Amino acid sequence: MKLSARLRLTATCAATVLVVTACGAGGSDEQNAASGSWSVPQQDPTATLNVVGILDPKADGMDTVVAAFEKEHPTIKVNYQQVPFDNLNSVLDSRITSKTGDPDVFWADQPRVPALAKRGYLQDLTAQFSGLTSGLQEATVKNSSYEGKLWSLPIANSTQVLFYNKDLLAKAGVQGPSMDPNQRITWQQLKTDAQTVQQKGGASTGLLFGQPNRYYQLEPLPVSAGGGIGAAGEGNLAPAVNNDGWVRAMTYYGSLYADKVSPRGIAAEQIDSTFLAGNTAYLVEGNWMVGKLADSKLNWGAALDPVWEGGKPATPNGSWSVGMNPFSKNKDAAAVFMKWLAIDGESGYAKYRSYAELPANAAGLKSYLGSKAFTGSEGGKQAAEVVNYETQNTPVGRVPTVGYIEFEDIIGRAFSDIANGVDPKTALDSAQNQLSTAWQQYK
Amino acid sequence: MLFLAPALLAIGLLRIVPFAGAAWSTLYKRVGIGLLAEQRFAGLSNYITLLRDPLFRGTLIRTVVFNLILNPVQIALAMGVAVLMTRVIPLRGLWRTAVFIPCTIPLVGSSIAWGIALRGDGPINGILQALGFGPQPFFTSPHQALASIMLVASWVGIGYWMLFLIGGLNDVNGELYEAAGIDGAKTWRIFWHITLPMMKRPLLFVLVADTVANFVLFIPVQLLTNGGPQESTTLLMFDAYRRTYNYSQPNLGATSTLILTLIMLVIVAIQFRLLNDED
Repeated sequence: MKLSARLRLTATCAATVLVVTACGAGGSDEQNAASGSWSVPQQDPTATLNVVGILDPKADGMDTVVAAFEKEHPTIKVNYQQVPFDNLNSVLDSRITSKTGDPDVFWADQPRVPALAKRGYLQDLTAQFSGLTSGLQEATVKNSSYEGKLWSLPIANSTQVLFYNKDLLAKAGVQGPSMDPNQRITWQQLKTDAQTVQQKGGASTGLLFGQPNRYYQLEPLPVSAGGGIGAAGEGNLAPAVNNDGWVRAMTYYGSLYADKVSPRGIAAEQIDSTFLAGNTAYLVEGNWMVGKLADSKLNWGAALDPVWEGGKPATPNGSWSVGMNPFSKNKDAAAVFMKWLAIDGESGYAKYRSYAELPANAAGLKSYLGSKAFTGSEGGKQAAEVVNYETQNTPVGRVPTVGYIEFEDIIGRAFSDIANGVDPKTALDSAQNQLSTAWQQYK
Repeated sequence: MLFLAPALLAIGLLRIVPFAGAAWSTLYKRVGIGLLAEQRFAGLSNYITLLRDPLFRGTLIRTVVFNLILNPVQIALAMGVAVLMTRVIPLRGLWRTAVFIPCTIPLVGSSIAWGIALRGDGPINGILQALGFGPQPFFTSPHQALASIMLVASWVGIGYWMLFLIGGLNDVNGELYEAAGIDGAKTWRIFWHITLPMMKRPLLFVLVADTVANFVLFIPVQLLTNGGPQESTTLLMFDAYRRTYNYSQPNLGATSTLILTLIMLVIVAIQFRLLNDED
């Protein structure tokens, strides 16, 4: 009896252990077996496409986009599935490498295009699409390409805007930051002003970053402080995140949290609503905030992004592209959907998604900046001016490297540690070491 | 045998084969990048790479310490609550339900809720401040983050393991308690000399299952701390995930998982020895 009980228990935990280990099993050893010829057909095929994106079907308006496409292309059904941004990598990893062809089309973060292409997760679109991209902004097409080939179609671009709460600033007697490129506010001044608004204007929070601890949001700091984009050398595979410029910039970033100008531990998803609640003086956030502000009751203004004292202005750019799974069994239909989403007219994505990101499509961008959110209020008009100026004059792309996924993860953890009070030099040295190890495999 | 066939087949296909695949892949390296790249035999070099990596060794030690603290605490608390819930107390069903409810909420949901509750400006800090304590950093401090993860895991775990222990307590022969009562034994003595020895089998099950569950704890780490601050919440399961997906090193990921499995088996074997020796 005792023996059999022991056997049973052993079997139970052995089974549990097996479940665990199975999770670690890798994929198969075939190299990317992209199959079948395909084209952008004149006549729509009949198909159902599985599409994976990061946008909420309702809250972010993807249902409307899909409905508009299905109305114009009735033989192609689109099954859109949302995956949270943080899980997109692992979802694509497991679903594309299972080679079932699901999803057919997926959202590809532009800085990850080289990494995704290198791993064999993206279908080469050069032959079918390279003649069709003249209506797209050049920078976004560049962001969607790697080693001279087109791997995805850009649907969006982005830039950052410095938003502020007019009422709180007025109460503290602080002037709104300037719209004049020669009078651009410095990061240093912004911190001082934010503290003043906290002390005299009653703001509980001085400054919020739309995406705290993410490279996209924070890259302008080290770049503007003279530290560079984070990597150098052939293929950008030599990490450069612990030089003086980076340490200076990150010391500043850490001080925002240490001095309670910015609060610790608020997830990116909770930032916009925290600013809309009305107790925050400043918010550095993407252009997508304009729509949310236009719908709110907040008395807000917009200004040019801050610059490092004595440095050059820098703003992030880039956004989402759509890529095709090389194992898709519906490549023709996928091509129709992708072309409609990115290229046709003002691009379906820009036309049917209210307050989408900045369209990558040039015609779409023009009508985007003419929409009510950007023309209906003083803040909106300021924001339109900022968007126009920054996208043309100050954008700095994220570091283009096949090792981008590791880079984003490792540097993100360093940022988070710095915000939580770790010595910036220590955190950046550690990130530099981890990156060197992680990038060994590409050399 | 015929009745067992479907189960055995399922175990073979869904457990043994993937396990063997994972174990096998720890002996290979990829030529190229990512899960689709070709593999070549590399002997034990993945194990050597990992064990030479100071971050991995730190993770290994952290995972073992995490479990050495968390498992006894969870089981002691679950046992305490279970004993309480088998006493005659008013509204017993209500209390039992209240303790069990967290288990019915998916861990993703409860992790997000705890993430907000323990924010710098969250309700828990509000209560602490109202009581005159300073605000605590919780997930943002390398000294408190792992303990905060333990809190999230226990909020779910205690109620769940309590259920099994209540089952065990109800099976203990009531005459033993009566006899002890007649002999004049005090509550603590009764618990120590009757309840605990009689509970050995359910306790062994709970101990082993709880150990396995906590060794593979992943969701709160991924959702709330991403292994930080300063790697203070990087546990082995998260390490395996990160190597496989973020760093595109699936073979090292599998190796990390296999090492996790081996450590877990050793600890479970020790638990069997300890609880069976006294028979």
